[in-house]
Amino acid sequence: MFSEQVIACHHCDLLMAPPHVKEGECALCPRCKHKITRLHHSNINQLLSYAVTGLILLFVTTQFNLMTFNLGGNVSQIDLWQSAINMYFDDYKILAVLVLFFIFILPALILILIVAFILSIKTGIGCWAQTSMLRLTFVMMPWAMVEVFLVGILVSLVKLVTIAQMDLGWSFWAYAVFCFCYAKVLTLVDRYQFWHWIDEAHR
Amino acid sequence: MNDYCRQSAASQQLANCSSCSLVSPIELEKCPRCQTQLHLRKPLNLQLTMAYLITALLLYIPANLWPMMVTEKLGQVEYNTIVGGIIVLWQEGSEPIAIVVFIASVLVPIIKFIILFMLCFSVYFSGLLCPAKRLKLYRLTELIGRWSMVDIFVVAILVALIQLDHLLNVQPGSGTIAFAGVVVLTMIAAKSFDPRVLWDDFDRKCDR
Ligand SMILES: [Zn+2]
Ligand SMILES: [Zn+2]
Repeated sequence: MFSEQVIACHHCDLLMAPPHVKEGECALCPRCKHKITRLHHSNINQLLSYAVTGLILLFVTTQFNLMTFNLGGNVSQIDLWQSAINMYFDDYKILAVLVLFFIFILPALILILIVAFILSIKTGIGCWAQTSMLRLTFVMMPWAMVEVFLVGILVSLVKLVTIAQMDLGWSFWAYAVFCFCYAKVLTLVDRYQFWHWIDEAHR
Repeated sequence: MNDYCRQSAASQQLANCSSCSLVSPIELEKCPRCQTQLHLRKPLNLQLTMAYLITALLLYIPANLWPMMVTEKLGQVEYNTIVGGIIVLWQEGSEPIAIVVFIASVLVPIIKFIILFMLCFSVYFSGLLCPAKRLKLYRLTELIGRWSMVDIFVVAILVALIQLDHLLNVQPGSGTIAFAGVVVLTMIAAKSFDPRVLWDDFDRKCDR
């Protein structure tokens, strides 16, 4: 619908002709090396499978324990929700909400929107919502901190190992694999290509 | 500051849609593909970046002075600030973790402050470094910014996990909110900065 004669780089505003990339090639801005697009024809199915897997794993994560803390017979366990909820009752409500958003709600919403977007592209249902779905996804993306939380778990684990017996629960492993899927999704998400899919779908 | 470099879209009065990357004339005001408001550069980007940065810098003071974590061990209450916590970790012999926490919650925010202030000043007093180098610094801030949240997540996990009444329990300190504020504000500051302004004096400075 919108044939592009020129495109511009988001990092240096260089005007250029739209790239003609072959399968698997990556187009970079000639001046500042900003990534413009990376073309994969298998992208859409891979992306869908990683996003769905991620969502399932995220659901699994809520069902089990994240880790167990055992100090001479005093045992306590936490799950994903509790890591935020305890702060909520300690009058750190903003922080609890923030943490929950960063580690759970935003990543889940992003994956749901991506799945919904791909399904809508594939089936042609709900074309009217596609642009808003994409805009919303890209606004939320920088705020999901999945990998940072994973490092946070590891840091607190190492911190506590010296004073108590620590065990990692199923949720931790699910979250770790989810983190991998999420990272995969991030590398496969390509703005340039997404908007092309929309153009093709509306044509 | 209204002249743009020759090869830029802005010099042709073309705006790159921030959401869908469709290049269209600025007169259209709204992107024809996705209805996003069009701008040649993010409006007020330097002023907003500076405002967020200064707010974050002010918050950085209580973030370091107030405790991040309140630990009660056998009735004794201990208040740990960011730096205090790192020193304790180091003394307890977990040096690698101390280094990770030091990088994430001390070094990263300071590096971000320095780079973003420098980038803003480099636009006002043009020509500190060549645009390519400044852009690399900008990308660095975008890359490392989120990692400061590690400390907040660690506190959240410890608070949830360690609740053995008076034997040992951990409460969040007021510093956590200030520090989370610093991280979020510096991230917003980096987002509101428009790296394209770094290239506007490209013809005059680097194209010799
Ligand atoms: Zn560029
Ligand atoms: Zn647009």
